[in-house]
Amino acid sequence: MAERTLTGIGVTPLSGVGKVVWYRPDADLPEPPAPEDVDADAELARFDEARSVAEDELQTERARTAERVGEEEAAVFDAHVQFLNDPQITDGVTDAIEGGLPAAHAVQETFTGFVEQFESMGGRMGERADDLRDVRDRLVRVLSDGERVDLSSLPKGSVVVAERLTPSDTAQLDPKRVAGFVTVTGGRTSHAAIFARSLALPAIVGVGEELESVEDGTEVVVDGDAGDLVVDPDDDTKADAAAEAEVHVRSGPVETADGVGIEVAANVGTLADLGPAVDRGGDGIGLFRSEFLFLDRESPPDEDEQFEAYVEALESFEHGRVVVRTLDIGGDKPVPYLDLPEEENPFLGERGIRRSLGPDASLFETQIRALLRAAGSTDGTRLSVMLPLVTTLDELHEARERFESVASDLAEEGLAHEMPEFGIMIETPAAAFMADRFAPHVDFFSIGTNDLAQYVMAAERGNERVSELGDYHQPAVLHAIDATVSATEGHDCWVGMCGEMAGDPDLTELLVGLGLDELSMSAVTVPHVKEAVTETDTAEAEALAAKVLAADTKDEVTNLLTTDQ
Amino acid sequence: MERIVTVVPEDGLHARPASKFVETANEYDADVQLGRADSDDLAPAASMLAVTGLGVSAGEDVRLVADGDDAEAVLDALEDILSTPEAEH
Repeated sequence: MAERTLTGIGVTPLSGVGKVVWYRPDADLPEPPAPEDVDADAELARFDEARSVAEDELQTERARTAERVGEEEAAVFDAHVQFLNDPQITDGVTDAIEGGLPAAHAVQETFTGFVEQFESMGGRMGERADDLRDVRDRLVRVLSDGERVDLSSLPKGSVVVAERLTPSDTAQLDPKRVAGFVTVTGGRTSHAAIFARSLALPAIVGVGEELESVEDGTEVVVDGDAGDLVVDPDDDTKADAAAEAEVHVRSGPVETADGVGIEVAANVGTLADLGPAVDRGGDGIGLFRSEFLFLDRESPPDEDEQFEAYVEALESFEHGRVVVRTLDIGGDKPVPYLDLPEEENPFLGERGIRRSLGPDASLFETQIRALLRAAGSTDGTRLSVMLPLVTTLDELHEARERFESVASDLAEEGLAHEMPEFGIMIETPAAAFMADRFAPHVDFFSIGTNDLAQYVMAAERGNERVSELGDYHQPAVLHAIDATVSATEGHDCWVGMCGEMAGDPDLTELLVGLGLDELSMSAVTVPHVKEAVTETDTAEAEALAAKVLAADTKDEVTNLLTTDQ
Repeated sequence: MERIVTVVPEDGLHARPASKFVETANEYDADVQLGRADSDDLAPAASMLAVTGLGVSAGEDVRLVADGDDAEAVLDALEDILSTPEAEH
């Protein structure tokens, strides 16, 4: 059979090969028996039992999702529990059972009525319809004793294909057995897409109704980069995909073809990211976003909790460096226990180091205590600390004084501690212009390209109308990076980069040519960037960088990068 | 006992604010109903389905009606949820 390709939205830069397993949670129930053959009391008891089983499952999946994906995504399970116990729904199901339907059919009928009602209202109600459908399917599954596909025990190499995957569905998937998933509906920010990225699964969403034509057991290639689903792939396609899927994970340090070592590290935004960071071969952590420890909770983490989190990150790696960025919070990130003022433009307001030296001084002090103690722990020599959004030398000096004063407090208390390696983020034009003045005072720079591009170009990549401007291929952004690296010449100051740009393997040669010592990215692309490093020759890379820096426009830059590959 | 409250959370009575609202309504010894301020139709506040089914958006006024020993306390708690911006839940 000739291969054919369906196209959707690819959500992870990964490919997988496997056999289709259709997941149809809303498959038809068998015809119900005649009402007189239904034992209403027994069915009511089954309904109660099923609700209690479903509630237990929801609590388990809530906890698992909070750990794997995050608190925000886990909160949806609270709404599910409320629908499960909703008096209108339980009354409706009870009436239907008393009217002669078995429990599963009664659940199906009652929920479907409400789903249709919500769907007809559109907008936000449509999302609630998804929640209701999710709860309905769970109850029906429990009541029909697992006659449906069990997502938690699929054969190895399964490609799960479904109309949609709900948070309940994805929480059951075992990433070790699933080769990928493909859905009819969904977009880049759907739950399923977020889930795929955090677990590094090949995935395509939003393929459309055409997906229905792909049958159970069909062999497919999921290209989560291009968004292509290749059905009945020929041997060449499979070999390509397998090569891609088997992107060689290098767990040791890598160097360029001519022997220059480049550190390739992972960014970590929750403790659950530590596993993938190691599994994908990260040399360490180039950006530990410590604010995640502070979000989605009623009170800040205390010193011991933070200390343990930093030590856990250090212990995940045998040798790698762990760069912790101190609290980076501003008006765009809600934190209930902080008095975050409403600001006209939070990205130009009181955020990052500005808050740590100002209103959040006591939080900052607690964080410093935890960091200094972690630096004094068994693996502590591998800890580095960096400050976010530094724009002036005063900020750097003041922050360092706080570290020193906390260190002398700890010494007086007789607590083990050390001064960690100390650096700053370069993410503002101010920091890039002043990089030569900062360099003598720090151990390293880490260039945060997402913010740097946004502040240099006065344009936000997330805003489609100006995303071309906010792109890191813009010459102005590249010159800011070059200026930063050049400013460290003659100083004992290494330069890293964290942000999406560092994780783009098409740019690795350029970044090596610009003189970066370290690249840090989401764990997913670590193997791709490591591979690109090994294929780079530094002399050629430097020549490429010189040509790229001579370019006048973004298009010229892009052309140079594509023709040179 | 009744009260008119303007809904502040950006999501309106959906998602997490709704979830919190229903959870709170169930915690007190009182029967609570709610509806739009300009309508006489009321729905049970203890029902997630009924609360989200109203489709109340940010900026709308809602009427809360409570009956029972904890009527005042539950109205205070619910008003607090409805008048607190997204960030606080």
